Order: sequence, then C-alpha cells, then structure tokens
Amino acid sequence: MASLQSAPSSPTQPRNKKGGFIVAEPPKFDLESYIQNYQGRTRLDRLIYIGVCSTFLGVEALKLAVREAKAGKDIRKYFEAQAHLETIGPEEPEAVRDKSWIDRVSKQNDAETKRLEEELKGYKNNLVKESIRMGNEDLGKHYHAIGELPKAFEAFSRMRQDISASKQIIDVSRHLINVAAEQKNWIAINSNVQKVKSAIAGTAEEASVQPYLHAVQGLAHFDVGDYSEAANSFLWTEPGLAQSAATIISPNDVAVYGGLCALATMDRNQLQRRVLENSSFRTYLEMEPQIRRAISFFINSRYTNCLQVLESYRADYLLDIYLHRHIDEIYQLIRGKCIVQYFIPFSSVTLASLNSGFAPLGKTMDKELIAMIQRGDLDARINTVDGLLESRKVDPRAELQREALRMAEDYEKEAGRRILHMHISMAGIEVKSPKRSHGGQADAAFFQDEGHRLGGGPGNRGLQY
Amino acid sequence: MDDILPKLLNFPQHPPPPNPLSDQQYDEGIRAQISVVKNIPNSKLLQPTSGGENVLDIINPSVNSVPYTFILIANIEAAQRNDKNIDQENLWNSIIAFLAQFDPRQMRYMQTELSQILDIFSNMARRHHQIPTAIPHIRDALLRFEPTGTLLTPKHLLLVKLALEAKQFDDVLPVIDKTILYIPGAGHRPRQKYLCNICLPPAAYITVQTGFVAKPLKHLEVLEYFLLSGQVYIGLKKWKRASECLEVAVTYPTKDSGPSKVMTEAYKKWILVRLLMDGKMPVLPKVTSPGAAKVLKVLGKPYETVAQIFEQGTASRLKSELEAGRDLWTTDCNMGLVMCVMAAYQQFQIKNLANVHTKLTMVDIHNLTQSAEIGSKLPNAAAVETLVQSMIADGTLHATLSHPPNQSPVLTFSPNGPLLTEKQTQAALAASSTRIKALTEEIKTTDRMLMYEKEYVNYAKKMKKNAAAGLEHGVGVNDMDFLGEDEDLMGSLY
Repeated sequence: MASLQSAPSSPTQPRNKKGGFIVAEPPKFDLESYIQNYQGRTRLDRLIYIGVCSTFLGVEALKLAVREAKAGKDIRKYFEAQAHLETIGPEEPEAVRDKSWIDRVSKQNDAETKRLEEELKGYKNNLVKESIRMGNEDLGKHYHAIGELPKAFEAFSRMRQDISASKQIIDVSRHLINVAAEQKNWIAINSNVQKVKSAIAGTAEEASVQPYLHAVQGLAHFDVGDYSEAANSFLWTEPGLAQSAATIISPNDVAVYGGLCALATMDRNQLQRRVLENSSFRTYLEMEPQIRRAISFFINSRYTNCLQVLESYRADYLLDIYLHRHIDEIYQLIRGKCIVQYFIPFSSVTLASLNSGFAPLGKTMDKELIAMIQRGDLDARINTVDGLLESRKVDPRAELQREALRMAEDYEKEAGRRILHMHISMAGIEVKSPKRSHGGQADAAFFQDEGHRLGGGPGNRGLQY
Repeated sequence: MDDILPKLLNFPQHPPPPNPLSDQQYDEGIRAQISVVKNIPNSKLLQPTSGGENVLDIINPSVNSVPYTFILIANIEAAQRNDKNIDQENLWNSIIAFLAQFDPRQMRYMQTELSQILDIFSNMARRHHQIPTAIPHIRDALLRFEPTGTLLTPKHLLLVKLALEAKQFDDVLPVIDKTILYIPGAGHRPRQKYLCNICLPPAAYITVQTGFVAKPLKHLEVLEYFLLSGQVYIGLKKWKRASECLEVAVTYPTKDSGPSKVMTEAYKKWILVRLLMDGKMPVLPKVTSPGAAKVLKVLGKPYETVAQIFEQGTASRLKSELEAGRDLWTTDCNMGLVMCVMAAYQQFQIKNLANVHTKLTMVDIHNLTQSAEIGSKLPNAAAVETLVQSMIADGTLHATLSHPPNQSPVLTFSPNGPLLTEKQTQAALAASSTRIKALTEEIKTTDRMLMYEKEYVNYAKKMKKNAAAGLEHGVGVNDMDFLGEDEDLMGSLY
C-alpha cells in the first residue's frame, strides 16, 4: 500500500479543486432522500456542492440550499448558495437576495454573540465550573451555527478545562470533531477520537460511540488518501451508526467508502474474509448493494463486470463531497488490481482485449499500463509492435549466478578498501584538520602544479577534462 | 678494470651451486658483495675492459644486478658531469636493459639505487621527449620489482603522471589495474630478518627504511594517485574502473576534518562517471567519513543536480542545466565528461524502455526519447536507428534490430540482458573465488601487521592487566564496558 501512495502521479489523478469539473450524467440517487440522511450544516455544504457540480440537479439542489440556509443563521453560506443560484437559475424566486432577512439575522447574530459572551463572563466571575462549561458550549454552538468555525473550535476546546464526567469528554470531543470535519482538520479528529477512546469506561458506553468513532476516523484516513487504514476503520464499524454521525457521514457513506477502500487495497482472500463475511459491516453493505456486487464480481474474477458496476455509479460518487477528490485514484487502483489479477494466468494478452475489458470509455490503457509496470505493480512488458502485453520470463539460474558474481565482486571491493583504510591509518596519513591550513595550501599547490603541467587535463581522444 | 671484474662477479656464484643458498647464506653473500662494490671508486667502475668494451655490455644485469647497478649509477653521474666518454644513447639503452632484466631478489637490497635510477630515467625521458618510450619500461620495472602490485609507491604516482603528460593511457593499465592494498608504513614494524625471503609480502620488504620509498607518503600523494588513475580510465572511457579509483579517493579516511580538495574533485568526477555507468545518481559508499560526506554534498551540489535531472528530468532541462554550468565544468576540467553525459542521456532513455517494452518500432522510440545534445527529439527516426545500431554494436544495449518489409524497423529487447554461458559463469566464479582466497591472505597479513602496532600493543597490555585485575576482583573482562571504545579494526569485515 505504501508503494501505491508514494507512486508517481498518474495521468488520471483526481482534479483537486472543488467545482473544477462538471458532472453531466444524471445520478442514480434522489436528492430529497439523499439529503434526508444528513443533519446540520453538512446538508448545506452538500447541497451547495451538488448545486455547483451537477448540471442535472444543480438548480434543484441550490434552491434547497437557499431554503436550508435561510432556516439557519449563517449569512455567508446563504450568500454562497444564493450567488450560485443567481448564475444558473436567475428566474427562480430563491435567486433574489433577501436583504431584509440578512439584516435581521445579522443583527440577531450580533446580539446573540454579545449576550452569550456576557453570560460566559458572568459565569467565570462566579467560578461555577459547570456553568462555565455550558456557557462555552452555548457559545461554541452559536459560533458554529453562524459559520465562525475557528472561534467555535476554540470555544469547544475551552470546555475541556471544566469537565467533571467522562460523558462530557465525549460530548466535547464530538463537538470538536464536528467542527474539525467541516474545517477538514483531520489531525484534530484523530486526536479527539483517541481522547474519547481513552475516556470510555463501560462496554455499554463504548458500544454506543464505537460506530461513530470508527466512521469518523475512517473518514479522516480516507480524506488524506490512506485508503488501507481507512478500509480498516470502516470495516470495524459496528452496526448501529444510524443518525449518530449524521452531521458528518451517513451509514450509506460508510458502506461506499469502506467497500471502495477495501476493493482498492485488499487481496481476494482479505476481501472475502474481512468484507463479505464481516457480520458487522454487512449491515452497512446491504444499504449499497452495488458495492457488494462489485466486490463479489472481483472475487469471482469477473473484472469487467466489477469495473462496469463501479463505472455506472461514477456520477453519484463524483457528487459526494468527500469521494469526488479520490474517486479517480481509487478506480485506478481497483482497475490496476483487476489487470494484475487478470494477467496472472497468461503469458501474453493482446492490448486490444485489455482495452475492451478495462479501459474507461474512450480511453486506452497504454499509459496506465506503462505507469503500472514502472511502479512495479505489474511484472510484464509491452510489445507495441504486435499489440501484446507479455509476462516477463525470468531465468532463475542466470539471475542467481549473476547475483553471486555481483556479491563476490562487492565483497572484493569492500574488503580491499578496508584493508587499504587500515594501512592508511597505520601509516597515520588520514586527512587531518589540525594541519588544515597547511594541507589546504598543499592542495592548492597540487592543483596549480597539475593544471600547469597537464595543460588543463589530458585532452585525449576528443575529450577534455 | 679487469682486475676488479672477479670481485664484481663474485656473487651470485656462477654456475649456481647444486643446492640453492639458504636465505641466510644469500643474505650474507649479497650484503658482503654490496659493501665490496660500494667501496670501489667510481673512476674505476667507469674504466673500460682491456678489450675496450664498456663493462655494462659485459655484465648480465639479470645475473649480476648489484655490480650492474653501481656501474650504471657511476655512468649516470659521469654523464651528469658531462663526461665526454659517456655515450648518452648507450646509457639510455643500458638503463632500459637493466629495467627489463634486473633480478628483483637482488634489488631488494638496492632499493635506494633502483629508485634513483627510475627517477633519473624518467627525467631523461622528459628532457628528450621520450616519455612514450619510457612508460612501458618503468611499468615493467615496477611489476618486476613488486609483482603483486598491491603496494602503493611514489613511483606509481610518477608513472601515472607520465601517462597523463604523454596522454598514453593503455600502457599503464597493467600497473593501475591492480588493487592497491598497502601503503608503505612509517615504522614500528619488526625488521625482516632476510629481505631476500621470496615469500615476504610486499609491505614487508618495501618500507620507508628499505629505501625504495624515500620518505613516508602523504595523504595528498595517495589521493593524487587515485584521482589521476581515475582520469586515466576516464580517458579510456573505462567507466567502471574509473569509478572504482575515484571512489577510493572519495572514501579516503579523514580524521576530524572535512575532505581534502582532491577528494572534492574526485567526488565531482565520480558523480559524472557513475551517471555514465548506471544512469543514476550514485549513493556515497557507507565507509565515507561522515564529516567529509557532508562537505562533499555541499560542494558537489551542481553535479548532483545534473544527476537528478539526468535521472528524472527532460532532455531540454538537462541541456539548459549543462549549458548554464558551462563555466563551472570548464573550471573543474570536467567539460569532456559533461559532453559524454549529454550524449549518454538518450542512450539511457532507450535502455530504460526495456523496463517497459519488449518490442518497439523505430518511430515509437523516436517519439519516446529525446536527445540532450539538441534538447529535443532527434530530427528523424533514421537518426535514432543509427544511435541504436551503435549502442547494440558497442554492447550497451542488449537487443536486436529487424527490418520488416514496408515498415519502420523494429527493435526487440532481449529479456534477460547478456547471458553468460555455463562455462563462462564457471570460469568467472572460479576466478572470483581465487581472488577472494588471495584477499583472505592479505587480510591475514594485515592482521599480523596490526599486531605490531603501538595502539594494539597498548590495548593488549591493558586487556591483560584488566584480566588480571578482573580475576582479583572476581569480575570478568567482558563486564567492563569501557573496553568497548577501543576500535574494532577487523571485525566489520567478517
């Protein structure tokens, strides 16, 4: 896995910038029921993202986003949603900027901020720990709602000083994880997950947060591109996530992310054992049957079908707020694995059959194959003249003999060098620093001397040195 | 003259005695002979025989090396005084005859004189522009005197310098091809009882006291030898040996100090040579002194950049980098190597294609590779074909070229590179094991020599004392951690 991560960027690397590409195909999901899976501010983010990227759902999503924003307190998000809608659907009623709402909400927000800060000050003067903690919590929630993420994070962090029960540790961390997920601050998420894990006391308590922790941690690994770790986290998620992480990630996402990461990083046996036969993950997998199908196809060596299933969901995944950045890379990893598996029993395969079986529509495999061979994923050679991919024939005997000779030569060289070094030190003529100035002069003298005598070096056989 | 001839030819006995002399008898005989001949005044040595012949023409240098040497030196000194009786050309020929025929066993007792003759000979060669003729004679003399060639002497350096002056490289290969293992020691070593013992390792009969090496070698001379022999190999485009020589210079031990300037020069050349060899940025060998390595890295930065671009960059970048550094390469006298690097870029590109492809048309190769010399693709596929043909011909590319009718020529890479036949492999393995066995002997020799080093003796004394003290106090020697700081000189070899 590590080698895959450090591999050179492939020609089909994901385009990183949000909104840098447009999804034209209609997705398979229904927007209403999709957004039902989420709660809180992530709904707004997801709607805006879909609105910007999808030509098919754009207007509808942005309309929802505007409505969603107006129900909340975040003026900046409202601007964002409304501005996008203004460009793609100016005739919609929601596309008109509601100035009175903005004024009203901004005044309310300011008043609320002031009130909560005053209150907190009061609590601090009274030195009642519990009140200070709750004051901070209210303030954090308020800042979060109006979109002041750094301030919200700070306020929630301050809660930690006044904690008195382990339940509160979990609360604090959940707040922080929420904000951090929106900021994409994955390091903070990981550290908070660890804090919760160490604070958990009973098994009952553990059971209630375990799915949440694993889902969030998986997401953190996933978004930094550590697919193997992400797969591990997602696969360990116990059933019962339901809406507990709905502000960040839905159970469907766990199935999709976990399944794709596993497909991209695990071999056939692991997939069978750890994904399909994994009872806790199965509850998630049932929600996204196409992932389950893709994995079964892979295990049964029907690589083309596996890739077709994934390809047909590409549009959906491109509209996911986290998945879209990674989907190309993950698909490429999966495709690479399929090719490697497919190629194992053959000594040569025509490039045409590879192209028809594996290449994404309208593309050829050549570049990807070259990249895979260069990375060492695929032990084969391309024959462009006859259009074949040929497996490499190794002659173990010759390899061994060559290796033996090389080792002997290395030994000779090394031993010789060490003997020489010993005699140099016996003669006491190492390069030493006390005589440095002296030695430097001698060096310079040598070069003047040589330069003069050799006339700039032996310009023999058309070479100059 | 005739009266002293018997004295001169007194030793070794002629005809040889039925039982060869023991080392002791030989030693006594030759020492006596030397002291006798030394006491004969030069004027007498210079007299011709009664028949008017030059004595040098009568004495056989391979049998009577001692008197021949003294007479030769007398002649040379006379020639330096511009004595009219000395024929320069005759003298030159006599020296050549001597260098080709002297008896190395006898010359062990005449090392100062041998060294003197070699110096004079090379000076004469320089003066008369005869260096090319002189080089083979000096080379043969060196190998005649010390056949293993593993001991570095100032004459080695002299020889390499002559070769570079005359730009005549092939002739010195027999000497510089040998791996240098020994440096003549400064002392401490027990005197060998009999120099004539033919089993002695070279480091035992050539030391600073025995005269062939007039004064201890300095680090600069050692480094210089390796840098210059590296240059000889570069001149011959023998990259492998060149890199080995330069590597010795680069890894030369330093003590609390940065590298010498020679080491940096060697490092720069080493990078380029290794680039020509494997097409990759080389990694400094582990034995490089850490202090030196840091400084080398800094000073060799421009060269390392070139290596990186060579490995990963495009032809046009390499070309502009090499052109930007033109002044630097010229100052460092590395322009020639840099040109080679430029030319090698496309060759390595083509070679690397074998890591991905088995068969390619010329048109493909033309499209996939670029020439660093012009910073872009070659003008046409035919030019690529010429390049590929030359690479196959000189053995750098293991592939075959075929011309299918009406198509671009096709290059087929051979999958496993060059294959040795079973016999060749056997021979190579046998040769290698012989060399390693010989090396094991050298290791033993070195070990013995280390035993007489002052440091080791002190260490051994300390060990003994500790062992005694340890027994008294009931502590084993191994319990004493402070012993760990003593250097483990041979341990890392095994």
